[in-house]
Amino acid sequence: MLNTIFMMFITALFVNNFVVIQFLGVCPFLGVSKNTSSAFGMGVAVTVVMILATLVTYPLYTYILVPLGIDFLEIIFFIFIIAALVQMLEKVLKKFVPSLYSSLGIYLPLITTNCAVLGVTELVIDGGSMEGLLGIAAGTWGLGYSLIYALFAGIGFLLAIVMMSGLRERVELYRMPKSLKGFPISMVLAAFMAMAFYVFTMI
Amino acid sequence: MNFLANSIDWGRFGIVLALFFGIALVFAILILIITKVCKVEEDKKVAAILERLGGSNCGGCGCSGCAAFAQKLAEGKGNVADCHSTSKENTKEIAKILGVEVEESEPTMSVVKCCGGVNAKDRFDYIGYKGCSQMSDAFQGGNQVCATACLGGGDCKEKCPHDAIKIVDGVSKIDKSRCTSCGACITACPKNIIERIPRKAKVYIGCSNKCKGKEVLGACSVGCIACGMCAKKCPEGAITMVNNLPVIDYSKCTGCKTCVGVCPRKTIQEI
Repeated sequence: MLNTIFMMFITALFVNNFVVIQFLGVCPFLGVSKNTSSAFGMGVAVTVVMILATLVTYPLYTYILVPLGIDFLEIIFFIFIIAALVQMLEKVLKKFVPSLYSSLGIYLPLITTNCAVLGVTELVIDGGSMEGLLGIAAGTWGLGYSLIYALFAGIGFLLAIVMMSGLRERVELYRMPKSLKGFPISMVLAAFMAMAFYVFTMI
Repeated sequence: MNFLANSIDWGRFGIVLALFFGIALVFAILILIITKVCKVEEDKKVAAILERLGGSNCGGCGCSGCAAFAQKLAEGKGNVADCHSTSKENTKEIAKILGVEVEESEPTMSVVKCCGGVNAKDRFDYIGYKGCSQMSDAFQGGNQVCATACLGGGDCKEKCPHDAIKIVDGVSKIDKSRCTSCGACITACPKNIIERIPRKAKVYIGCSNKCKGKEVLGACSVGCIACGMCAKKCPEGAITMVNNLPVIDYSKCTGCKTCVGVCPRKTIQEI
């Protein structure tokens, strides 16, 4: 069991990192990575939404959708639930962390349709290609493993976005041709990061 | 159509619909509760102030944009006078909204206190990307001998939201008609040689070098050598020499331009 959890950690953070390997959730990854503090906030917000979403969607799928034979509607249900969760999170953040709320701006509602969050909820009910890596059969993860994976996936997102913001903060200080300044160089940085992370898929 | 109607399983359709409504209801109630618990009172002042601010997002006030400045003002932390790109009437209106008195300040403009450029001697031939912050970081203050020379790289020109700065003969020149004195160039300049002067001023000192005459002679052909001619010849006594540089008291200056004529180095610039 510990072995599986460790493998999940490695898988979610490096081998199948949601942002730089699977290219899910790239919108906030590029949008909120201008400074480290708001990037960290975004990472934490996404992690919280991932865990909450998995907590709701996994039982919904296993105990309601599958017995009723309407599991093919999972994506619609999941988006619905994630959107509602993000609405709540937005209200909570506005009350308790207004500075983070204003720095996240438009990107907070965008978690609503963030494919990284949807990806986690889909992946934990399916298991997909990770059977060989984790040693548990697809579709038999159980709520415990699913939540742990969601946590690690969120940390993977956090890692990627914080690293990206660090790089961008540095690059911001350099002079460079106008055509590369700002967003274009961020795309180049993201590409390099993805290439670096790609090495982990050889494990 | 008959085929379509037969292939729909209305029982399952009902279940899905019911499930959707059930989930929607649960979440709606949850969101309602959370909204009630986490109620934040919106400040209507901010929007009213933002509407009246200059709106160029120049950053001259020190905030990241007009919205941030409006927020700061509404919280009672900022000073309306920090914004130089808002018109006078609007500044008064904002002051009224905030319930504070605004001090009548003289309209100002920015000037680059250097006229060296091609006249300033270079330490070496620089070939590479022309950018003030880059050059001054990489070569201990740029490639000119004079430590306070305008590098002509155009950092201020890039930052100017009003397109008021041009680079003429290697020196930034600020167009008075366009300058709103927002201060974006002042923070952008790595050499700190851009300053605010009253808008009614007719002349300014085009040099920031505080070294003695001999050193300036070797560095620049238009640098101030602190001869003091302008201070002696000024009919109003508006010019004093401080740290080897003339300082103009603009409250006394009448704009006669005697100083421009007597300056042996042509350092004093007309606007």
